Amino acid sequence: MPRLDMLQLTIKMGERGLGRNPRYAINGFDLDFDEIKGGSGPHETLELTGRPKKFPRSMTLTGPDEGYWDIEEIIATYHVTTAVYDASDGGPYTLRLGAVTLDAETKLNLWYERPPQLLEV
Amino acid sequence: MPTWFAKQVTPANENSSSVPPKLAEIPAANSSASRSRRTIHAPILPSDASGSAARGIRISAQLLSDRKIVLMLDRPVLSGFSYWCASQTEAARWSPLASALFESGGVESVLIHEMNLTITLDGKGQESDDSCARRLGEAIRRHLESGLPAMADSFLAYLPSEEQIREGLQAVIDDKVNPSIAGHSGTITLTAVKGNTAYIKMGGGCQGCSSSSLTLRNGVEQAFRAAVPSLGALLDETDHSAGDNPYFTELPAGGGA
Repeated sequence: MPRLDMLQLTIKMGERGLGRNPRYAINGFDLDFDEIKGGSGPHETLELTGRPKKFPRSMTLTGPDEGYWDIEEIIATYHVTTAVYDASDGGPYTLRLGAVTLDAETKLNLWYERPPQLLEV
Repeated sequence: MPTWFAKQVTPANENSSSVPPKLAEIPAANSSASRSRRTIHAPILPSDASGSAARGIRISAQLLSDRKIVLMLDRPVLSGFSYWCASQTEAARWSPLASALFESGGVESVLIHEMNLTITLDGKGQESDDSCARRLGEAIRRHLESGLPAMADSFLAYLPSEEQIREGLQAVIDDKVNPSIAGHSGTITLTAVKGNTAYIKMGGGCQGCSSSSLTLRNGVEQAFRAAVPSLGALLDETDHSAGDNPYFTELPAGGGA
């Protein structure tokens, strides 16, 4: 199980932004991001950095307390350390997540282990 | 009571001088923001790597451990429906694309769903999986770029209604599947049928179980296909990866069961 040292998120907002600072949760523990840049208004871009140094079983981005939060795209970069050195497991990895809308009842899954290597054929 | 446990938590009536655990030290697992919220998933988008774009249709291959190759295209092949077949004869009837893949050799079954083709290899040849993936990718690209259709025009007319598919699958669940996994406290629930794609959830002892994918592939899927031959993709919506007891992570971009 990898330890997540640092998480970097670039969130492109959709029509409806978020009226407060974003939060995330690891294994059910609510956490604040360590760095927040940019804006969370409609069509703005947020750049978030968290340094959890935890072993995630689950990691989620918390939805708004009320109303809706439209996300156009998230670029998530994961900086992980594995307990056992593995030559195939070097460096951070990045995933692009597509459009989604969060509300007071939802949270967005953010935890994805390193995706399998893809072969361009 | 084991000694290590007794050291951690000692009942007050056994030792009144012991210090009770401080509330602040207890994990706030259900604190305000994440409590009672439902976890949802955003689609995973393809990376920006150009790859085979210079050759026209871009196709990425993911090699799985059980002789399966998922070929992910940069465009939909079959939208709103899905198609599965395990014989050249049937493929020739309903899907020119699947037929071309069977003709190229080494193919046991083909699943076409949205932008993905999941191909199970027959394992009879000596060809490496990498080589198979390249050959099949090229066959798909050649077929689609020649202007030939992926599916026969008559395919949609052949499909039964969603309600008929739902009834057929539910009967299998009630009569065969759930009774057979009840001994493991497992349950399978049919959550939706969209087009001819079925969505299920595994519950009870199946959720997070290391054998759940085997149960799905070797038990449930086979029973479903025997009863409802027009069933396309069978997708597991169980929250194995983000729940309290995660075990495996699903394929990216909606890979088939």
